Amino acid sequence: MLDVQLRQAAAVLLESAIRIAPPDTRDWGQAMRGELNHVEGSWAAAMWALGGSSVLAKAAVVSLVIPGRRLVPDGGIFAKSATLRKAALALGGGCVLASLLFFAAPPFRQALQVAIEPWHHLYQVGSKNFEPGFEALAKRAEMRHDPEALAFCAVRLQDPRESVRLAEEAVRLDPDLLWIYAVVGMRSPELPEAATWVEKLERWDPQNALLHLIAAEAIERTHYRRGVWSPPTQEQEQAWQDAMSAAFQSSKFDDYLDRVAQLNRRVVPRYGFYDPDEVVSRDRIDLPTHAIENSERFAKSFLNDGAVLEAKGDRKVGRDKFWTVARFGQLIDAQGRTSLEHSMGTSLQAMAYRQLEASSQREGNRTEAALYGYLAAKFDPVQGKRADFPGESAFGRDTSQRNAVVVEISGLMILVFFGLLVIALAIVIAGGRRGAHAAAKRARPVATIVVLTSAVGALFSSTTLYLTYRPYWYIFQSAILSGDRVQTSDLSAFLSAMKMPPGLSPGAGISLWSALLYSGSPSFLFYVWAGVTLLGVSGLVLILLRHLLGRPHVHSP
Amino acid sequence: MKGPRISPETLLVLEGFLARPTDWRYGYELSRETGLKSGTLYPILMRLEKYLLLEACWVATEDGVPPRHTYRLTPNGVELARTKLAEARPRSLVRQPAYCRG
Repeated sequence: MLDVQLRQAAAVLLESAIRIAPPDTRDWGQAMRGELNHVEGSWAAAMWALGGSSVLAKAAVVSLVIPGRRLVPDGGIFAKSATLRKAALALGGGCVLASLLFFAAPPFRQALQVAIEPWHHLYQVGSKNFEPGFEALAKRAEMRHDPEALAFCAVRLQDPRESVRLAEEAVRLDPDLLWIYAVVGMRSPELPEAATWVEKLERWDPQNALLHLIAAEAIERTHYRRGVWSPPTQEQEQAWQDAMSAAFQSSKFDDYLDRVAQLNRRVVPRYGFYDPDEVVSRDRIDLPTHAIENSERFAKSFLNDGAVLEAKGDRKVGRDKFWTVARFGQLIDAQGRTSLEHSMGTSLQAMAYRQLEASSQREGNRTEAALYGYLAAKFDPVQGKRADFPGESAFGRDTSQRNAVVVEISGLMILVFFGLLVIALAIVIAGGRRGAHAAAKRARPVATIVVLTSAVGALFSSTTLYLTYRPYWYIFQSAILSGDRVQTSDLSAFLSAMKMPPGLSPGAGISLWSALLYSGSPSFLFYVWAGVTLLGVSGLVLILLRHLLGRPHVHSP
Repeated sequence: MKGPRISPETLLVLEGFLARPTDWRYGYELSRETGLKSGTLYPILMRLEKYLLLEACWVATEDGVPPRHTYRLTPNGVELARTKLAEARPRSLVRQPAYCRG
């Protein structure tokens, strides 16, 4: 019984191999099949069939890669069976349809946009315009006289002069958008308009510490022009002291991020401007650049003055100064929304409580000293355990970088596979027509294979892109539409890693070698994966070209 | 036309044919005589046929059983086989160990 089955299996194996064999080898396959009935012993017959099948399979592969080796034109697995060719094309069509269905999903469209961005940057190096999207949006907003969209662009455009123009236009159209001056002014406090803006803002939103911090920053910037630092004049130093003193005396801190979030919620859907990089830009505009250094410098001098007064016997005034710093730290910590603001608030509190602890010890009040010591340690940025602020990373930087690599490659592969698919499909269609060119007819079976392979590749790349980017899309949606900033730092880290193609950074040509040296780096992963994929795609293209351009040999008599 | 690559396995096949140069031979028969598996034997036969050193023909068998392919060397094939085997024999003697006694 087993003998019969084994012999039947051997016959099936050999007959299957004959089907895939190129025509010039098929006779030899039939010869081996003819001998199979005379082989003694079922195991020997199975081994005979196995050996024969390997010969035929090898011939099939050789004829696929080197079409010139094939004696009769229009051979190959798909040429022999129209049903098989139709099945392959149907399967390929199904894969393409499934890939195209991904475009219906907003996360996929956004993922593709994000994935192509870094490659777009490659040929934009040297150009100053890295914000074509914002510039186009600004033009549309101006045409529509839409103050909110103008403000939205003013907040984000890198060109300070253009930002100022758009901000002023927005406020002219809607005076309630005056707060935009603070956001734009924070980024470019050296602008001549900044002083006028701060005056207007102080009348509109008195007691907001942020406005004084912007004024101090503007004075600070006047010392540092075109890379050269010049010592401040006495008037400048006094103006800076006054601005910082006013900030420390303020009873309110508002960075206007809630208003920015509300603006996003209205403008993004209105213009369909779903650019995730926009979320990152929110983090860049929470405080003036040197707010932390300025505050710490002023706090130190303020605490010193307090200590001097205390030493002179004016204990009350001295301690008031310590408390002023502590209260300002509390204000920023409590009313701030970003990690940077909380960090600044806790750091100032730690400085103030340390002075208060020392003061209480000098007085001999141990209980009070212990309390201030505890508070100083709690808020100390090095010793203390700070609570997790919204926007803390959950995925980790490595994961974000790895995901960025996967998204970049998947996006690129989708384009490559679809390009290959279009070319191969054109050959299949051209080769199927009556009176088609001989080259197109000859290449048709291989083009069918390329269509199928490209379609499967496109589907695989689309699925990978969708699944990898999907979590970031949810983070983006929550941040833009509901103002939920949880995990935005993950999105920021991911987008930062997406700025340039892996292993490439502006002006750094050594990154390829460093990536290859450190085999664990995401860049290494990129190069290995990209290399393998590129070899595969090049192989497909080469096979297609050889079949298209090769000449069939004629049967020797 | 340039001749085929003559491997030791090809020599075995040529030797098998030369034993009865005028007879038509079956593939399985050659396989048993030479000890070569189908995966080795058939590429050799295909190569010899490509260089017109071998002729093949189909032989009808009983009903329901596939026909069989039979082979024999062409005059050119016989000549080449004799030459190559003559060249190979002294070499095979040289390959014997120098210290071999008897």
